[in-house]
Amino acid sequence: MAVPIEMPKLSDTMEEGVLSAWLVDEGEEVSSGDVLAQVETDKATMDLEAFDEGVLLKQLIAEGDAVPIGELIAVIGEEGEDISDLVGEAGGDGAATTEPEPEPDAEEPESEEPTESEPEPAEPESEESEAEEPTETAPEPEVDTEPEPAPSGDGQLRERTPEPVPAGTDAEGRRIKASPLARRIAQEHDVELAQVEGSGPEGRIVRRDVEAWVEEQEAAPEPAAEPAPEPAVGEPTYVMPDEEAAYESEDISQMRETIARRLAESKYSAPHYYLTVDIDVEEAVELRADLNELAEEQGRAKISFNDLITKACALSLHDHPYVNAAYRPDEGEIHKHNRVHIGIAVAIDEGLITPVVRDADRKGLSEIARETRELAERARNRDLEPEEFEGSTFTTSNLGMFGIEEFTAIINPPNSAILAIGEIRDTPVVEDGEVVPGTRMKVTLSCDHRVVDGAKGAAFLDTVTSYLEEPMNLLL
Amino acid sequence: MATLQFREAIRAAMTEEIERDDDIFLIGEEVAEYDGAYKVTEGMLDQLGHDRVIDSPISELGFAGLGIGAAMNGLRPIVEFMTFNFSFVAFDQVINNAPNIRYMSGGQFDLPIVFRGPNGAAGQLGATHSNSTEALYSNFPGLKVVAPSIPDDGKGLLKTAIRDDDPVVFLESELMYGMQREVSEEEDYTIPLGEARVAREGDDVTIVAHSKSYHIAMNAAEELEEQGYEAEVIDPRTIKPLDIETIVESVIKTNRCVVVDESNPFASVASEVTQQIQDRAFDYLDAPILRVTAPDTPAPYAPNLMDEYMPGVDETVDKCLRVMYAE
Repeated sequence: MAVPIEMPKLSDTMEEGVLSAWLVDEGEEVSSGDVLAQVETDKATMDLEAFDEGVLLKQLIAEGDAVPIGELIAVIGEEGEDISDLVGEAGGDGAATTEPEPEPDAEEPESEEPTESEPEPAEPESEESEAEEPTETAPEPEVDTEPEPAPSGDGQLRERTPEPVPAGTDAEGRRIKASPLARRIAQEHDVELAQVEGSGPEGRIVRRDVEAWVEEQEAAPEPAAEPAPEPAVGEPTYVMPDEEAAYESEDISQMRETIARRLAESKYSAPHYYLTVDIDVEEAVELRADLNELAEEQGRAKISFNDLITKACALSLHDHPYVNAAYRPDEGEIHKHNRVHIGIAVAIDEGLITPVVRDADRKGLSEIARETRELAERARNRDLEPEEFEGSTFTTSNLGMFGIEEFTAIINPPNSAILAIGEIRDTPVVEDGEVVPGTRMKVTLSCDHRVVDGAKGAAFLDTVTSYLEEPMNLLL
Repeated sequence: MATLQFREAIRAAMTEEIERDDDIFLIGEEVAEYDGAYKVTEGMLDQLGHDRVIDSPISELGFAGLGIGAAMNGLRPIVEFMTFNFSFVAFDQVINNAPNIRYMSGGQFDLPIVFRGPNGAAGQLGATHSNSTEALYSNFPGLKVVAPSIPDDGKGLLKTAIRDDDPVVFLESELMYGMQREVSEEEDYTIPLGEARVAREGDDVTIVAHSKSYHIAMNAAEELEEQGYEAEVIDPRTIKPLDIETIVESVIKTNRCVVVDESNPFASVASEVTQQIQDRAFDYLDAPILRVTAPDTPAPYAPNLMDEYMPGVDETVDKCLRVMYAE
């Protein structure tokens, strides 16, 4: 008995899979548990195992093909078994249209590099385009060639719209929304609706849009000659009138893409919560002034307030291993880091990068100051080596210099927390029942609740606070 | 022309007809001695006598059936329901007997009867006294349904309804009885059933509305004019037979339509008008046809809720702007 093998659902969000490599050739024997192929899902490349014994009679899709879940991709059975009904069935689904192709077909590249599981090399790409085209176009003629058994409703529809409605879809194949009247006017004027921008709800093309377009065409007769033959595809063939563009487009840079991906991943997967404290930094400000006086005398790097915070965090992290940890669900583990590497968010023209001050707990303030300044400089010049911005165990982000009083930051994965630092501000405070001038700074800790529970986060902040409120401890 | 209240126009139509034709009589609760619950029949008893203006017991099913029997025997009764909410008690007579007798008897019987009275919501009357029945009665083949919006139409259409040889449901409104307008004094003034009235011409949007809703439509049209849009307002006057040609002609001109109908929305006159327009003028529509109706709930009692419940001018203007893509 032949057994059909379908594209399995290998992850919760998977809708289709790319067959990245066949590991069993047609005609080869397989037994239950053998890996037939590797399938790339939206998340990972996974093994497709056989659940039956027999011979792999047919591979129905080529390497690099993407097919939806449930699509027939192979048949296992007995040597010489007739599987035409199974394979024939698949004909309607489109994917199998790769099969009747006259070319010797998809298996070839596989025999050349059977051990390569990487779908990356150039070949699969060309295959993909080859294989995808027929899957998209094949079903259409099929539907058209068998209208006889179609239900009568279909026939009625056909009668109702005897003439082809102009341009039912746009260049990307999406249905064009247009009012019936707009369609009729477009037809009368030989206007392809794909060229007309709709001003109605959800881009519906309405009468005034078509009329405006027709008017424009009449005003600019030159390009009007062109659009008739095949205007629906690609660029519109008319010239946009002197109108201000609604936006300027910019390619998404690699860095922007990385920021988007990592931060979205963080915010989606790490359950964030936030703890804010208002720290009395009067003494720390004074200490820094003293230290910098000394630094100037001795020609050492000036210490920024941020350096004090880096040091305070680094020392505090020692006592709070879960804040200096990473949640690794795929390994079933939480990694509590033995060393403390502080990432410091630096804004640069292209975006944002977080150079890492390694072993910040063991470094003196001057060293932290010097290193931070240098790393920031190199970051701005896009000159950092990967090891200089990778491997942080905790991150800080400071917007105080912009007058931001407090904010919340998104955790920099795989860290389990990030400290958002606000400005140092003079503010009235109550001391012993009296309102007196004070110097305060708000910091907000974003925690990944999977690792850092509320009390743990609060305890860490308390330690940071005590370091900054009694800053001499930072020097010990 | 005379300036008459709606109730006076209705009274004039009945009086003139009863005087003209000996076969015609009026029957209903309180129509004679009490001069009518809404004074529509005021003075008719004195003028026409007990044979022609008859107080019925409080028994809608009974006197509706009496009317049908009389009609089958050659008389031409006008049966008044104090309101159409009470016509539900006479349902079997109105929807099962009246419309089917001609058909079931193979044309042996005419059924010249008019069921008339006020219809629809009329302020704080509660859910059971606020029903709009036009869609309901229009659903039964064999019944004609008339719902005038102004006194002149009331008079002309009622006279025609009385002269019609088939059962006619004639829907008035408590809230409009006091409305004063010019009414024709022409002798034998009749308006044919099944002819819509184009009350106002315009090119930008068609508003279809009958009975009280017509006045909402007219006010909305005025507001739209201030905003620079010309609405065409059509009052179908007769719900059934519906003058869809006039409506479609207008929509072909304006390409947009809003139907105002104070009934509940599901399977309403507005639904029917909408369906017929899209069927006949699909290729002329530039926007979906929108409806302004009561919500699909019973009518509330509280005045603030009632304000929310009833279709209004603002909503009508909004929907007109929407179908014109002018928001």
